[in-house]
Order: sequence, then C-alpha cells, then structure tokens
Amino acid sequence: MTAIDTSIGPDRARELFRAELADVRTDAELQALRTRWVGRKGSWVAAFMEALATATPEQKKTFGRGANELKKEVEATIAEREAALAAARRPAHAVDITLPGRTPALGHRHPLSLIRDEVGAIFTRLGYQVLEGPEIEDDYHNFEALNMPEEHPARDMQDTLYLATPTFASADASVGRPRGKAPWPPQPLTLLRTHTSAMQIRHMEQNAPPVRLVAIGPVYRKDNLDLTHTPMFHQVEGLVVGKGVTLADLKGTLAAMAEALFGAGTGVRFRPSFFPYTEPSAEVDIQCIKCKGAGCAMCKRTGWIEILGSGMVHPAVFEAVGYDPNEITGFAFGMGVERVALLKWGVEDIRLFYENDLRFLEQFGL
Amino acid sequence: MKVLLSWIREFVDVPESAEDIGTLMSVRGLALEGLEPHGDDIVMDFDVTANRPDCLSVIGIAREIATAYNRPLNVPEGRDFSPAGSDHAIAITIEAPELCGRYAGAVADVKVGPSPEWMQSRLTACGIRPISNIVDITNYVLLELGQPMHAFDLHQLGGRAIVVRRAKPGESIKTLDGKLRTLTPDMLVIADASRAQAIGGVMGGAHSEVTTGTKRIVFEAAYFKPSSVRATSKALGLKTDASTRFERGMDVTAPARAMARACQLLEQIGAGQAAGTIHDVYPAPQSAAPIVLERTRVPGLLGMDVPDANVERILRSLGFDVQSASAEASTSAEASADRSAGHAGWNITAPAWRVDIKRQVDLIEEVGRHHGFEHLPSTFPGVQQAPASSDPRIARDRRVRTALLGMGYSEAITFAFIEAAAAEPFLGGDAPVALANPLSEKFAVMRPSLLPGLIDAVSHNRRHGRRDVQLFEIGTRFSPRGETRGAGFAWTGLATADHWSGARREIDFFDVKGVVEQLAAVSLVSLTFGEADVPYLVKGRAATMTVNGQHIGVFGLLDSAVGDRRDLPSGDEVYVAEFNLDALIAAAPADTLRATSLPRYPWVVRDVSILVDDALSAEAVRGTIRSAAPSTLIEVREFDRYQGKGVPDGKVSLSFRLTFQSPERTLNDEEVQVGMQHIIDALTRDLQAIQR
Ligand SMILES: [Zn+2]
Repeated sequence: MTAIDTSIGPDRARELFRAELADVRTDAELQALRTRWVGRKGSWVAAFMEALATATPEQKKTFGRGANELKKEVEATIAEREAALAAARRPAHAVDITLPGRTPALGHRHPLSLIRDEVGAIFTRLGYQVLEGPEIEDDYHNFEALNMPEEHPARDMQDTLYLATPTFASADASVGRPRGKAPWPPQPLTLLRTHTSAMQIRHMEQNAPPVRLVAIGPVYRKDNLDLTHTPMFHQVEGLVVGKGVTLADLKGTLAAMAEALFGAGTGVRFRPSFFPYTEPSAEVDIQCIKCKGAGCAMCKRTGWIEILGSGMVHPAVFEAVGYDPNEITGFAFGMGVERVALLKWGVEDIRLFYENDLRFLEQFGL
Repeated sequence: MKVLLSWIREFVDVPESAEDIGTLMSVRGLALEGLEPHGDDIVMDFDVTANRPDCLSVIGIAREIATAYNRPLNVPEGRDFSPAGSDHAIAITIEAPELCGRYAGAVADVKVGPSPEWMQSRLTACGIRPISNIVDITNYVLLELGQPMHAFDLHQLGGRAIVVRRAKPGESIKTLDGKLRTLTPDMLVIADASRAQAIGGVMGGAHSEVTTGTKRIVFEAAYFKPSSVRATSKALGLKTDASTRFERGMDVTAPARAMARACQLLEQIGAGQAAGTIHDVYPAPQSAAPIVLERTRVPGLLGMDVPDANVERILRSLGFDVQSASAEASTSAEASADRSAGHAGWNITAPAWRVDIKRQVDLIEEVGRHHGFEHLPSTFPGVQQAPASSDPRIARDRRVRTALLGMGYSEAITFAFIEAAAAEPFLGGDAPVALANPLSEKFAVMRPSLLPGLIDAVSHNRRHGRRDVQLFEIGTRFSPRGETRGAGFAWTGLATADHWSGARREIDFFDVKGVVEQLAAVSLVSLTFGEADVPYLVKGRAATMTVNGQHIGVFGLLDSAVGDRRDLPSGDEVYVAEFNLDALIAAAPADTLRATSLPRYPWVVRDVSILVDDALSAEAVRGTIRSAAPSTLIEVREFDRYQGKGVPDGKVSLSFRLTFQSPERTLNDEEVQVGMQHIIDALTRDLQAIQR
C-alpha cells in the first residue's frame, strides 16, 4: 500500500484509490479504505486539505479543485460499494439452503399394482366394472364351464396346482348358483385358479347380459421360476357380452388399451389361435415398443410382441351359464400383468417383482 | 411340427420364400416357430395348436398354405401299387369296435435294409431317426399324411391273424423300447391268435418287431378312439408320435389312403411288394352331418364383411363341402334371381380330418382367419345400460394402500404359497391349506397370514444392506374356512430418516400403534386394544385390535425366534401388524357419514398431574376421569409420563390435558373448576392418586 504522499497530486492519487477499491471484498476492507482515504485525520483527503492550507494561490486553484473532486469520488464510490455489499450479505437468520431437507416418509407403489390400477382405470373409462374373485376354485368354474371337460386336450396346456384336501368353504359371496336354476350342491374347491376366466363364469351365472367387466388378480400355474415365469402371476381378464358384439369390437377395444398402456400409435395385430373357451380365437401382438415395428432382438426381428390371448366367447360357455348363444355374442381377453410391466419398464427378470427389494421398488412412484 | 419346404411344394405351388410363407401363415393360424437350412432345402417349424391334429402332417400344412395363397392343392387321387395276389392274405377281426373304429392291414414281402438317401434325409430333417426301409416308410407316411402306421413281422404273429381287442386282466407286453408293461382291460391291444403284439395307437411290441431277418410284414393303419389312447398313454407314462396324434383325433377315412401310399412307396424304393390287397375293416362307417352357416352370422360375429365368393372359396379350399341353402320362406323367382337377397347361407360338411369343426362358429373362424384378421375394422361394443359398479374391495384397498404409502411403507407382493414351517406359527389352530402337488417345499401351503411373506421380504432387504425397512402388502389369506383379504405391514430401523440436524431414534411399539390407529381412522372406525398372546409376537409388546368386539387383527414386536428362522439378522427388532380388511369393512359404519357444524363457543383447557401406581394402565386413569367428568369434557390427552427423580419407586407421574367445551354456551371458570374437582376427587378416591 502506497504511503500517503500529496506530492503525487490528486489525479495520480485518484488512480491509486481506484486500484485499491478494486481489491476490496468485505465490509471490513471497505471501512479500512474509507478511513485511509476520507478519514478525519491521517487520510489522503485530510493530507490534501492540509497541503492546501500551505499552498500558493496559484497552486490552490488547480490543486484545490483536484482535491475536492477526489474527495467527492471517494465518498460516492465507497457509498455505492457499501450498498452493493449490503445487498449481497446473508441476513442473520439465513440457513444454508444447500443442506439436505428432512424427508417425510413416503412409500413406493409396487409396479404390478401400478399396472393393475392403470388397466382398471382404462377400462373404467370405457364403462367396464372391475371385479375380483376367489383364488381357490372348483373344477367346474376353472375348466368345465369354460369348455374344457376332463378329457379336453387343452388341460394339457396348463399345469394346475391342486389342494391336498378339497374345501367347501369360500369367503366370497359369489360362489356359483346359476341364475334361474335350482341351487347346486356346493362344489368342492379343489385347485388354485389357473386364470381369471373362472370369474367370468361366476359373474354370468348371477347376472343377465349385457356384461362389461374386467377381472384382475393373482392366478397360479405349476411353472418353475425363471426369467419369464413364476408359479403365481397376475392376470387381467376382460369380458363383454351383449347383442351384436363382434371381433372387430374386440380389436378396437384392445387397440385403445394398447395405446393407453404403451403410448399413442402402438398398433395391434391379431393372429388366429386356439383356446377352448373362445371361437374364433386370436393371439394379440402389439407393435414392438423398442423398435416401433422395424425389427430388433426384443421382438425376434418380427416387429411384434405377443401380449395377450383373446377371442369371441364360445357358445358352449354361454350355454353353461344359461345364456342363449343365438341371442347374444361376446368377446373375452386375458393378459398377464407381469408381461405388461416387463415390456413397459424394460424389467429383465420377472422374479424381481416378487423379491420386494426396496432398491427395485423405489424406482417406481406413487 | 417340422416340415421341409420341398415336401410342401410337392403338394402346392409356392415359389415364395420360406420367410414370406412363415410371415403369412403366422397371421393365418399356423405360427412359424423357426427356420433352419437343411442342405439346399429349408426346415420350417410350425406351432400347431392342440385342436388341429390334421396339421401334424405335410399335407395338412400344405392345405393351409394353399388356402392362404389361393392356389390349388395337388393331391394324387390314388397311389398305385401292384399286389402279387388278389386276396387279403391276412385275417383281421375287431373285437372292440368301441375303441377301434377302423383297421386296415396289408401283407407284403420285403427285403429289409436301409431306405434310400432321399427318404432318410427327409426323416432326419423332420426329427425322426431312420431305422430301416420298412420302419422308415411307416414314418414317412406318418409325416406326409399324418396317419400313424406300424409294421409287424408276420412270421412272429401266431395264427397269421390280427385281433383288435381289449387287454386281458394282468396281460403284459414287452414294447419296442424294451420295457415290460402290464396292461388293464380298458387298454386296447393288437394281438395275434394268442398274445398281445402291440398297444393300440401307442407302441408296437418287441416280439413282432421288424428286423433284418424279416421276410414278410403286415402294415397297420387304423383309427383308435382318442380318449382311450390318451388314457392308455397317460396310465403307461408312454407318449409317442402316434399317441400324440391319436389322442387328438385322427381322420377316420385316412387308413386306406395311408396304406396305399405305404405299399406304393414299398415298390418305389424297391423294398418289397404287397402280397395281397388291402384288408380294410370299417364296421360302422361314419358320415359327417352338415352344419348350417347362416349368411348374416359371418359379419355378425366378425364385424367385417366377407364376400360370399370368398366364404365359399376358403371353405372349399380347406376341403369342406359347400352347398348353398336358400332362404326358407322366400323361394320366389325374384328372390332366387337376386342371389344375395334370397340367399340365407350354406350347408357345410367338414372333411373327416377336421375333428375340430363342430359348430357354426368353427366355420366362421375358418372364414375369418383366411379372409384375414388384418381386415378387421376397429370398432367398439355399443353400451346398452349404465356400467355396473366395481368390486367395493378395490376402493377400500386403495384407501388403506394410500394411507400406508403416505406413512412411508412401500408396497410388497409376495407369493401366496409358502413353506409349511413358515406358516406354522400363524395358523392359529387351523389346519394349513396345503397343496397336493406343490412346485417345491418352499411353496407347500397357502399363506394363513401376510406376515410370513413380509418377514421374508424384510429379511431379504436387511441381508442386502438396507437398515430401515417399511413394507406392506394387501392380499388374500387362506384357511379351511375360506379366503379373507388382509393388510399387513412390517417395520424395522429408525422412526424417522437420518438427518444432519437431529438425534436418531429406533422405532418402538408406539410408532406402530400410531400407524395402526391412523389406518383405523381412514376406515372410520376406532379400535379397542387388548393384550395379545400369539406365538409369533413378544408377549407384553403385542396387542389385539377389536372394533365393537369384532377381532380385526394384531400388532407388536416379532418374536426373534421366528425372525431367526427366516434369516433375519440377529438383534433386529421388527414390528409387524396385520388387519383383516373384510372384518374391518364389516365393522365400519355404512355410508351414513354426516358432517357436524363447527363449535360456536370457546373451549377451556385444564392440566392435571397425578402420582399413581405404575401398574395402572393409562386406559384405567382415562376411564376414571371420563366417568367423573361433566358432559362438557370433550377430550382427555396424556401429555407427560415420568418416572425417576422425585417420584417414589413403583409410582408414575402422569399429566393429562383436559378440554371442556359446550355447544350451547361459553363455560365459566367456576363450573370448570367444579368439574375438575370432581375428577380429582374420583382419581384420589378410586385410584389412590396424589395430585402433584
Ligand atoms: Zn423390436
């Protein structure tokens, strides 16, 4: 810091002041600068005023104006900087806003539960009722009424889990009593339902057409655990029965569902197939959500991914529940909730859904 | 079903590539599973659905392809061969016509050796191992026409006779795979005069097997009853190419055709010559009844129009007999002149190989799939009435789920079947609902409670380094009395998340009780608590929950022995709770909620601190206060509980905050003071309390 020396003149002193001001960062430094330049005693301005007293009249004229200008500039500039520093200063009650907040406890939804709700919401919007049914079933509702008698080859397609001891009880109020027929003797409950289709039968037994429902819930098959199979999984079953219901109505409905679940523009494709409880039957593919139909490893280069089975309700099913297949038609479909979740979120191992690892669950929202 | 492209092309002219054929057939009902080169040929692997045994053959697949491409199917009318003699050269008797509807046999003189290269190559490509020219011919016919065949060494058949009969009790046979099998009278055998030589439709016997020394054979082509073959195959645990086809239903007209083809092939490859004509025993010839296909039903079911010409073309191409049926009422000249107006539909007769066609809808499916599902428009079913309401459990579960999520619990979904040992502490005296054929011991019984699954989930998270775990599940519990829906939760770790500002605290009983009370509050019920004594909770830190005397559930600290068995880290304190949601909803008031107006007069608050015996429950003190208080007491709340310096041993200092309010007027100090004095007198008199 240059010692006070008035001989350098006010103009040179002003340059010095500007240089020193540029280095000022804090309030304290600014106050020190003020004292050094405009303090009542021993400051640069005070020194100039003293020098002025002993100056010649000729010197006074130029030197005096310069000293006064210096004083004005110093005072104005310091006031300005003082205001700027004050504006930047944290008030006494300030906190460090970058510290982490206290997080209120909030849980995460299970991905399968999210899909269940989403599908339920889609079909509620389309005017369907959403139902749930018993998970332990009798042979009649799970197989026979669905056109799968004892010797039907279709029973080969699903390996069923049976109870060691049949039970007659069910907490569910909708245990089958066909409409307009004498009450049945109670059917022994013998197996874990292999599909939610059993629920269709129970509903139709008790309600006259029209019908418009989705049934959602767990189903069971004797499948070993691997990347794509679990012995328990969840199914969404849809059923619409009424006058003039067609396969084209099924296509429109499933196309709407595919777009709602997988995004606008997701196309659907029907492939003829075979299920004992529908005729005609179709397996339904959606356009591959990864390659948008161009062909990739996920869709085995076909551009399509199988998503569900469906068809027009078989007349034998209508006959079993006392509906007249000459009066009404209907469509049905069944879709795996896990399969939708695997596709939608790119989950690579179905077993993750049943481990309940919080590191997995916390990736999903509310 | 694996077939060679060249073989298909013998029956239908399809120059298109295998890929193109596969892509089209996949949307016509024959999904292509894979393509594999075989020399300069291609093996096409089609997924044939269980209802289409006719497509387990080259001819069946070729017929579908011909229909899909609208090309003719070229089936040779007959297969010419020159028998050496003019009689049957064998006696065939069907003694069990109910199990065998048709049996064709033909005797041939043969020279056993390897079959020609081209035949071996085709069999190999389709997954069948070449054995000898005779066996290879039977397999070749099986693949080409779908008709299973068998060849017996005639010299090994006693009495030179074939008798189709039921097995005798205790009768046994050594089958071609070398195993001795004991039969029952519900099984069908092909026997000679004295002994069983084959199990009908399942497998031949070792005794009459064709060997290199065989000089004379009998070819067999028959029709066996599907359910009988299925039962026999299942009972013997023996599944073969033949049984798979017979049990799904074969073409009753096929045996004669297959036999002719086999005899012709025999000559063609120089393996021998038929000794006589074909002996075809068909005791009760069957003819299919026509099915009416109503014209309006096609668009009525499919929702798309299919031109009449296309309906007829598709069905004829698939082998159906198609006859127009005129409208019953309008046989006028005008109507028949305008074909579409007077035309009611068709009388359709299915070919014998289409065992799946039974009803009109089956015909509509044929028309629909070959017209092409890609032509289906996208429409929506009409609404005929207001939608019915959904299962009320869904809204109830959502309410409970939302509350638990809001209190920090993440949602778990666990398997409904668990290990028997894991279920044991939760059975409550019931027998377990066990599975007859569980996948493994880990999935042996249906869960009586949601807690075993949740405990395993907590254990999994703890073993993977997670300290704080809050999980819940809403799901079904099983008992011999039926299914109930429950909500369970488990909690271990800190009461609140770690934070730089504050002290950490492990959860305790009252954290869990608070959650339980909130769940009751969102369900609009209030709980009564009692001490719980269940094998999986620590006594003294466990409570039952009831609503109006109805048991709703339990909560408390998990017994460490239960946790240890599920691999929970030792020393972990896990609190669990479980509600019976069905009972909860039954206990909740019906939808009679009415809002009450807000109070118009101010309240008065008074505190009171007392010393009482520390064995006295808070509930007892609260009860004494309430019973002594005037009706203006609206709330009693414990706000401090203290033991230690200044409080004698065996005593506890309790502080209560009492709130008084009247809906009718402002309370004055004096009446509140009188009320407080009543309360203090009662506490002193009934509980020996000392006011502090
Ligand atoms: Zn793709």
